[in-house]
Amino acid sequence: MATEVILPRLGQGMESGTIVRWLKSEGEPVQKGEPLFELDTDKVTQEVEAETAGVLLKIAVPEGEVPVGQTVAFIGQQGEDVPEVAAAAPPQEETKAAEPEAVEEAPQQPAAVVSGNGRIKASPLARRLARERGIDLRSVRGTGPEGRIVAEDVERAEAGGPAPVALPTAPTSTGEVERIQLTSIRKTIARRLTEAWQIPVFQLQTSADMTRVNALVARLRERDPDVRATVTDVLTKISAQALMRHREVNAEFTDDAILLHPRANVGLAVAAPQGLVVPVIHSAERLSLTEIAAVRSDLVGRARESKLRAEDIEGGTFTISNLGMYAVERFTAVLNPPQAAIVAVGATEDRVVPFDGGTAVRPMVTLTGTFDHRAVDGAPAAAFLQTLKESLEDPGLAL
Amino acid sequence: MPELTYREAVRDALSTAMRQDDDVFIMGEDIAEMGGSMGVTAGMLDEFGKERVRNTPISEMALAGAAIGAAMQGMRPVAEIMYEDFLTLAAEQVVNQAAKLRYMSGGQLTVPVVFRTQGGAGWSPGAQHAQQLEAWFVHIPGLKVVFASTPEDVRGLLWSAIYDDNPVVFFEHRTLYPIKGDVPQEIEPIPIGRARVHREGGDVTVIATGRLVHESLKAAEEAERDGISVEVVDPRTLQPLDEETLVSSVKKTNRAVVAHEAVTRMGFGAEVAAVLQYQAFDWLDAPIERVGAKFAPLPFAPVMENFVVPHAEDVLAAIKRTVGKA
Repeated sequence: MATEVILPRLGQGMESGTIVRWLKSEGEPVQKGEPLFELDTDKVTQEVEAETAGVLLKIAVPEGEVPVGQTVAFIGQQGEDVPEVAAAAPPQEETKAAEPEAVEEAPQQPAAVVSGNGRIKASPLARRLARERGIDLRSVRGTGPEGRIVAEDVERAEAGGPAPVALPTAPTSTGEVERIQLTSIRKTIARRLTEAWQIPVFQLQTSADMTRVNALVARLRERDPDVRATVTDVLTKISAQALMRHREVNAEFTDDAILLHPRANVGLAVAAPQGLVVPVIHSAERLSLTEIAAVRSDLVGRARESKLRAEDIEGGTFTISNLGMYAVERFTAVLNPPQAAIVAVGATEDRVVPFDGGTAVRPMVTLTGTFDHRAVDGAPAAAFLQTLKESLEDPGLAL
Repeated sequence: MPELTYREAVRDALSTAMRQDDDVFIMGEDIAEMGGSMGVTAGMLDEFGKERVRNTPISEMALAGAAIGAAMQGMRPVAEIMYEDFLTLAAEQVVNQAAKLRYMSGGQLTVPVVFRTQGGAGWSPGAQHAQQLEAWFVHIPGLKVVFASTPEDVRGLLWSAIYDDNPVVFFEHRTLYPIKGDVPQEIEPIPIGRARVHREGGDVTVIATGRLVHESLKAAEEAERDGISVEVVDPRTLQPLDEETLVSSVKKTNRAVVAHEAVTRMGFGAEVAAVLQYQAFDWLDAPIERVGAKFAPLPFAPVMENFVVPHAEDVLAAIKRTVGKA
């Protein structure tokens, strides 16, 4: 029987890929491991290798965007029949049109491989996981043999795929240890954080009165309700200005030199469904608060939909990690190498503080900076943090 | 820890039992002066004499019947059936007598007999001297069936078989006799009905018997290079079967391959697959794969024999199919 060539998942969060061109033509013999076609994804362009040897019998999708797991070609013996392509590969235009919306809402059409009698092809384990987690298998795309939904697909769907159709009534614990297979993004996070942990760092902490920042954000929202400005946007702008004043913090340590970056490319740690990502607001020092808010809104939105492009996550020189929305008072962040600094932002909360010779209740935030000591010493880092504090307390001075 | 070959380990279990217990004796075709066709009982005649190392006529039915009779009278005989192919000649006694007498006598009789036998391909013995017929005997209520794959296991399990009050059909594999392995200084009985996890892994469980245990361990190492973590479990006792160990392993890995040298069709692995699919249904993420010989008599020609029986690469291919990497 002819073997289907399936569009592979090449990396974290990949939902689809674009076939750029085929490196083999129909009727040509193919060795296992030989490059078959060129695939463009969110992150990379890569040659995809044949997983079986034989003759490339049929190219089902000559070029264009294809969802992961779809059949794009058949490899088999010379003269062998291939299954009806129409059944395996929907026309390209249709795929393109259906893709963008399909991610957001409950699916209009089944993503799963459904057999003639309407039964979805899924492993028993995948069925149980879907049942326990309230996931509709019709919304899950199978990547197992012949499009079978396997456990990994259900986990992926739960993490980042289409929203579950039915909410789980009451999560029932089976009393067993649950095993969550590492996704590639989880592996990348683990590897990068382990690397970051090797770097000698130090932490500095300061608190700032947010009265004026809050007033500024309120005013911005009033003036421009469409672009919902946030405290993070002000922090981004203020950090960018501070980085330009303290360029030794906007740095990168290399084996033979310390690089001081000319632009403040500020990364924002975002909890995307499949894991932590850090989209970057480039040249934030040159953008207005409203521009920053617009860029941030677009980036965070796409991060949550796993639609970031390579350029969105590259080139950061500094990172802000904000857990204020979770009522975390203060925390320390792990460095995001090769950057030399990251600032962890806690919740803005009312605290009793000395004020004007007495005490007062003021909205306070605590910032904790983590710095690469190889690149930055304590004093310049402290000066940077002081600038942040002063700018937050009197944002007009920073802008 | 001393090192013994599989052959020496069998002999050590027999000799040690005979030294400490007058009820234990061995019988079979050419086991005395010749030391058995596989040399397992070599030298035992000198130590124990012909009363306890008994050559028998070339009649498997007669020698099996004599052993059963001795067992009913309170002895613990170990009868050697030269090739397991010849168990077919003793089947009446093993299946209709040994397996049934305890039940039919309402427990008044016990039959503590062991039928030791060997088989297996890999040395071109042809269609009548290398079959793997364990599936015939696991089907019979009243029999226990053991198939050990290492020197340590074969010694500890043979000991337990000798001292079990029920008839045990004890399979050895021809090509395993020369393999060496560490064994405890003193014989440590291995309970009948307990599987052994040879190697732990997280992605696929391979349940293998006899020679295929070793082939599966090779395949597991290969798979590791492809990032597939394989658990290898040898049931060791085929009847009773340690379902708990097998099922819990598969619940952990979510995938299973069953591998033996006997033909796949209606093989022991079919029962294992049935047990797994029933008890671990909701944990399975792929169809259970089966590895075994092709459904054909074993050819004499080495190339053909090699083609018919399974090897490490067949196990590896099955492993890869379960994780969708075939």
